[in-house]
Amino acid sequence: MSESGIDGERRRFIAWALTPSLVVLFAVAVLPAIYLIVTSLTPFQLTTPGSATDFSEPFRNYGLLPGDPRFVNSLVVQAKLSVWSVLFQVLLGMLLALLLNVPSRFVEFARTFFLIPMVLPPIVVAVIWKLIYAPDISPLYYAAQALNFTMPALTSSVDFALTSIIIADTWEWLPFTFLMVLAALQTIPDEYSEAALVDGANKLQIFWYVTLPFITPILVISGMFRLIDSVKAFPLIFLLTGGGPGTVTEVTNYYAYLLAFDTNEIGYSSAVTVVMLLLVCGISLGLVWMGRRREALA
Amino acid sequence: MNESSLRKATPGRLIAITVTLLVLLSPFLWLLQMSFKTNDQILQFPPPLIFTPTLENYISLWHSAFSASFLNSLLSASFSTALALLLGVPAAYALSRWAGRGKHGLSFAILVTRMAPPIAFTIPFFLFYRWIGLLDTITGLVLVYTSFNLPLVIWMMQPFFDTIPVSLEEAALVDGARTRIVFTKIVLPMVTPGIAATAILCFLYAWNDFFFALILTRTNARTAPVAVVNFMNYEGWEWGKIAAGGSLVMAPVLIFSLAVRRYLVSGLTAGAVKG
Repeated sequence: MSESGIDGERRRFIAWALTPSLVVLFAVAVLPAIYLIVTSLTPFQLTTPGSATDFSEPFRNYGLLPGDPRFVNSLVVQAKLSVWSVLFQVLLGMLLALLLNVPSRFVEFARTFFLIPMVLPPIVVAVIWKLIYAPDISPLYYAAQALNFTMPALTSSVDFALTSIIIADTWEWLPFTFLMVLAALQTIPDEYSEAALVDGANKLQIFWYVTLPFITPILVISGMFRLIDSVKAFPLIFLLTGGGPGTVTEVTNYYAYLLAFDTNEIGYSSAVTVVMLLLVCGISLGLVWMGRRREALA
Repeated sequence: MNESSLRKATPGRLIAITVTLLVLLSPFLWLLQMSFKTNDQILQFPPPLIFTPTLENYISLWHSAFSASFLNSLLSASFSTALALLLGVPAAYALSRWAGRGKHGLSFAILVTRMAPPIAFTIPFFLFYRWIGLLDTITGLVLVYTSFNLPLVIWMMQPFFDTIPVSLEEAALVDGARTRIVFTKIVLPMVTPGIAATAILCFLYAWNDFFFALILTRTNARTAPVAVVNFMNYEGWEWGKIAAGGSLVMAPVLIFSLAVRRYLVSGLTAGAVKG
């Protein structure tokens, strides 16, 4: 009965169910990507007619990139922002998860509230930190004043601007690593640590030899997820520092935004974006590869 | 038998959890209290902890252009959610039942779409919309939001369909029912909770968007997140109104998040995208 009604009809249904989505995904994701790559091969500026189809020097934009100090700087800033914020998020998220890993109704209820920073609209997170960092109204500055201590301006200082972004970003995304680690912790059977306890291990030893090996893969994976997402940091930088002072907080994403929508260099901005996309794809592939290896090991 | 002393809710630990929660949420609570203060109270030093709350900020905000942008946010988020569900739910079902070779490739492609930085889509969409006149329209926003909501629907709904035993559908098929009928009459009713949770997440992602709206809208279709930033630029010192605007933008998010907190985890960790 292989080619009879049921199978054929089912296959037709699957095609019917899948096609509209594939067409739309192609239109809203694949076509823009192709268009982006095409644009990156031109010196396109909105004000220069004909520049959108000028392919006389297709790799000019890419050739300019290594010699562009702002681009190189933006990569360095991005690396600093990503590494520090991901590090803090993983570390603090893990500590928080360890603290909340207790069977209790109250804790289960409280857990939802720990997720608030992550579900807030990113722009509201930026507004919150704007209020915290604004000298006239900030509780930080009130506290400093009460202690007779002069607080430096945070978001407009060369030394502290990036740190203030890292703090805000860590606050926003800490719940993500917390959630992931907590989920991993809850799969560890209690017997392991109980056995270790009977053998006379102390809490630190149990953490180091029992818990940590268990959650290391999830620490790495959640860190990678955050790493990929950290490339998108935009509202915080847009509202708190505007990339400044100078180019101290100008990450690649923000530089590409300024190029395209402030200085009108659409072709060049597209080239910057393509490089960024390739980096993200590289990390994603690494993530998938690690996931596969984990599945194979398990 | 003795319970392990490692995982016990001792009073000390509960206090530590409560204190951590308060410290962690203090920036958020600071915004909230500020939205109920007059500007004089906000600038007062030391800040009054006990004060008569006022709704002044919210009222003056509601009578400004902000309410129109709030409506824009509501419309674009709702329509894009509906569109993504309409297209994505059957696709997720097909993917769940189809063991073809392209399945993994497709899943990866969907993951990549969710991971790509928004600017990669913004430049092409901006140029295209400028050309066909979709800049500053709700339709334009709905289409862009579908680019990240459709993958989310497909990603979220697949596991829900996976849990429904195939044998159930086969029985109906053998009885002569068409696959389309089996899908709409048997399968869909079983995944309603999943659809509800997915819909809320889609709505939230579209509602939270700032970047696309910043670039693809001007005045007509301006959404609430962009409006908040806008009057920050023009009325820089109206801190109370800014705080009230921020609180209004986050209100739907907080309410909906509480409603779907059971599904929040899988939705937020599935290639979590925000930005």
